[in-house]
Amino acid sequence: MYAIECKNLTHYYGRKLVYENLSFNVEEGKILGLLGKNGTGKSTTINILNGFLQPNSGECLIYGENTQLLTPETKRRIGFLIEGHVQYSFMNIHQIEKFYSGFYPNWNSAPYWELMSKLKVTPKQKISTMSCGQRSQVALGLILAQDPDLLILDDFSMGLDPGYRRLFIDYMREYAKAEHKTVFVTSHIIQDMERLIDDVMIMDYNKILAQQPIGQFMSGFRQFNITLTSPDEEIDMDGIAVNIDKVKDKIEFYTYSKEDEVKGYLNAKGITYTAFEEKKMSLEDAFIGLTRKY
Amino acid sequence: MLKSLIYKEWIKIRLVVWIALGLSLVALINIFLKVRHDILFVDAANYWYSFLFRGVVFFSILKFLPFIIGLAIAIAQYFPETVNKRIKLTFHLPVSENGVLIWMHTFGALVILTVFLVVLVLFTAGSAIFFPSNIIRASLLTMMPWFLGGMATYFLVALILLEPMWIYRGLYTAVAAGFVTVFYTGASIGAFRPVLMPLALITLLLSFVVLFSGYRFRKGEM
Repeated sequence: MYAIECKNLTHYYGRKLVYENLSFNVEEGKILGLLGKNGTGKSTTINILNGFLQPNSGECLIYGENTQLLTPETKRRIGFLIEGHVQYSFMNIHQIEKFYSGFYPNWNSAPYWELMSKLKVTPKQKISTMSCGQRSQVALGLILAQDPDLLILDDFSMGLDPGYRRLFIDYMREYAKAEHKTVFVTSHIIQDMERLIDDVMIMDYNKILAQQPIGQFMSGFRQFNITLTSPDEEIDMDGIAVNIDKVKDKIEFYTYSKEDEVKGYLNAKGITYTAFEEKKMSLEDAFIGLTRKY
Repeated sequence: MLKSLIYKEWIKIRLVVWIALGLSLVALINIFLKVRHDILFVDAANYWYSFLFRGVVFFSILKFLPFIIGLAIAIAQYFPETVNKRIKLTFHLPVSENGVLIWMHTFGALVILTVFLVVLVLFTAGSAIFFPSNIIRASLLTMMPWFLGGMATYFLVALILLEPMWIYRGLYTAVAAGFVTVFYTGASIGAFRPVLMPLALITLLLSFVVLFSGYRFRKGEM
């Protein structure tokens, strides 16, 4: 059963193509991380999911409803964290809790107040005067109190220091797993994602490069380093490498193939080398390996 | 839900509302102190004559007050929604998007109407001390376009603020400035009487235009 289904999305800004025939699904109970460089369409996707952008063609469904036409009942099942933890900052923490509680019949203020008790804020302090980290806890607390089935978190790590990022991630992961919540999350800070997500979706310009369980991606996508015996040799690894970086005689390449397949390929191509090494990658390394450094 | 929505809107505009009421009170006190002074030093009959036949408007200080109130409340209510596109939060509430805008707008308009009614009631009560009923009626008719202009300003500023594209905002501002000026052209006693109904009707129609900005925002215009 899917919480989110996006089918054949095509969108342009003016003449600039963002993506064409993009399709993906998010299974209920999973935490999916959407990764991509700036301008690859992460925000566009979030905006389509939240009904703030009509794609040129295709559609996204949340719990079977077109996101452009979500009913209040379905919107009640979706918790939405806006990039930068935007909230009604003209309110204080009591006012904002009172405001939102009127909209959600299952409102549970306990987790909100638990998080608020950790913040060093005065009861009447406006949210606008809080630090970014404190605001992130207010936004998170409100979502937890709403108790939605699906959480859409747009760049949750923006502006947060490492402590607040870790707090946010650990709280979110524990909550989502304990309560069987579906989470769709984007972040610029990729190392955060590794602790949080079940599935990864990596976007590049106009397309999806990978969508699979994070464990499968991390074990299946590999980095190998070799040193060429003839540094000036022109090498062609298009048949096996997703990306390749060559600095003098050092070759760094990324592939979905295993060590013996790679060695077989190099031998078949007549590429002579020394210092063959498989390098262990973090998610950030793998992301850069897949999307290139520039 | 409605109670919650009103709560949020009231938090945004309450300071402006109290300031608007305070300013109105000061303006009214100023008017009636001046009227009392003039009647004491001129005499009532001459004073009424100058109003009825020479077009001397003793309450001209009120002219732009409704405009300022409409403008200030619209900004206080809708500008915070535009900062960081916070209107997304409002549209994400479990209410229909048009429904939430209509409720916000109705609340804002009712608050402005209440402030205007307070001003008009106090003005009428104060005038009753110094003037006969025909002068009071003529005064109220003269003021009516100003108050309608205040309402129109509120509706148009909301349209401008929620519009997602700057070029459209500029266009709307130019049209709105031209339109609102109509309500404040001249100040002869009762001059607007024949067009009051059409102006009121147009103002009522303007109350819906904010939905267009909301629609454009939701379609992703930027």
